[in-house]
Amino acid sequence: MFDFLISSVTVAGIYALMALGLNLQAGYSGLLNFGHIAFAGIGAYATGIAIQSGWGGFSGAAIGVCVAMALGWCIARLGRNLASDYWGIATLAIAEILRTAATNEVWLTGGAQGISAIPSLFDGLGRPWNAMAFLALVLLAVLVFALACRRVGNGRFGRALRLMREEPQLAACMGYDLRSLKSRAIMSGAALTALAGSLYAHYMSFVGPDYMLASETFWLWTMLMIGGLGNTAGVLVGVVVVQGAYALVPFAKDYFGFSSDISGALRLGLIGFILLASLMWRSQGLVPEKVRKIA
Amino acid sequence: MLQFLVDTLLRASDLALIALGLSMVYGLVKFPNIAHVQYAMFGAYVTYAMHASGVPLVLAIAISCAVTGVLTLGLHLLVFRRLLRAGPAIAMIGSLAVAMLVVAFMQGFAGSFPRMFNLPLTEPILIGEARVTATQLYFVGTTVVLLLLFAMLLFFTRTGRAMRALASNPALAAASGLNAEGITRGVAFASGAIAGLGGSMLALSTGAHINLGYDLLLPVFAAAILGGLGNPLGAVAGALLIAATETAVTNIDFGGLVGGDPLFMPVAYISAASFLILLLALLFKPYGLFDREVRRV
Repeated sequence: MFDFLISSVTVAGIYALMALGLNLQAGYSGLLNFGHIAFAGIGAYATGIAIQSGWGGFSGAAIGVCVAMALGWCIARLGRNLASDYWGIATLAIAEILRTAATNEVWLTGGAQGISAIPSLFDGLGRPWNAMAFLALVLLAVLVFALACRRVGNGRFGRALRLMREEPQLAACMGYDLRSLKSRAIMSGAALTALAGSLYAHYMSFVGPDYMLASETFWLWTMLMIGGLGNTAGVLVGVVVVQGAYALVPFAKDYFGFSSDISGALRLGLIGFILLASLMWRSQGLVPEKVRKIA
Repeated sequence: MLQFLVDTLLRASDLALIALGLSMVYGLVKFPNIAHVQYAMFGAYVTYAMHASGVPLVLAIAISCAVTGVLTLGLHLLVFRRLLRAGPAIAMIGSLAVAMLVVAFMQGFAGSFPRMFNLPLTEPILIGEARVTATQLYFVGTTVVLLLLFAMLLFFTRTGRAMRALASNPALAAASGLNAEGITRGVAFASGAIAGLGGSMLALSTGAHINLGYDLLLPVFAAAILGGLGNPLGAVAGALLIAATETAVTNIDFGGLVGGDPLFMPVAYISAASFLILLLALLFKPYGLFDREVRRV
């Protein structure tokens, strides 16, 4: 039970990092990125590949962050006059192409088998303490990046992003370069998410193409929509709510004796239902973003 | 060569009906409904359930179309109409949620194991050197007839004119006294029914399975976007183009072209090919191949 709790909180913390990364794009800048999980996948695969070829985890994470930022730059440049919904579908397509490549390029990624035996970070400590140390590291990262995101979000950059989201023409008139704003928002989100992906690879000691399933992106979107787009505290609340509900499913499975098909369906249905309900009745989320009004 | 044409036609009719419905609804509600491909998956399962319980196949497909149409209409009235008040982005995210719910419902109900139709085996028919099964012939035939009927409806009847008017200028259409809500409901029902039909006929050859919808998502969107979302017949042309590319990519011997060893594109990358076309389309012709409108930035 204690182990289960620790692992749930650790995974929730990693998802919180990815959700914070998505919030920089979707929340502050209003970009419909439906391929966000590709960044996490890149981070995880970079870690796996680097460790496999003996470069160590740290350089793996660094490579992952760089590649994810490069991809973010490309995505931001992609079709700069696309309407936002078209752009969303394009990001979805890019993530799916990457997943197809990860499944098929066996020489690089191990194909559907993935890369296993990635060492965990604190193997030197004893049995309960390694998990605790990892949890502490993840929570520390969440704290640092949440504070940093709030700082950025309320600072000049965040205000510029919000202005771009609400009134793009006005932002352009005030001398902001919209394309550069978009690129920077996406690249910073990509870097944070790649870091989270790298942590995830260490935690699971495995990377596989399933990390990049489109449903993972939708999972992150659910957290954002429930908690409140564009609000750091809201994102964290959303992560807690969604991961909490998710952690309860195995208990329901044992209690009611569901088959694994039904419990899988239950998880998926739960995400869909929470997302839909929050969109229909509380589209601002639980902790709505406060947009400053000019009185 | 003939086999190439036949394969292209078969794949195109897989995609065309579903892309047509997607594009038609987009014209009226102005958001891409990601759940649309899941309606096809839903229709496939309904047909399977009917057929497995002893209903004749044609009747089973008809019932499935009606049920899927009602589901689509119900979702439009209960969910999407409400979400659209908050804007197209919210509605699009909502359609993701609906897609997940439909998949979860079907997985909980029918399991993740694919359900194959119990159809009598038939000798493939030879057309020249190309082989097709009778089911596939019926499938293509039905698709072509439906598309012709739809084109006639769209261009030669009052209802069709009303639909086109509503799609191109909603404010003017409303001012001319068109019943926008009624037309939208009708189109929502029809698009769902066609998606159910497309899904059912696809399932006749591949079986009804949970990933049927996901597998269709990107090719169908690619087709609809290539044709210009909101232009139903453009979507059909887009489906033909996507199908031709997918078939070509898997059949061309790239090694032979440059004079080396035979080198074929791995089959697993077929879907990546259609995504790539989608990306290229978005980069160079974001409003579709048949877009004639001049836009200011």
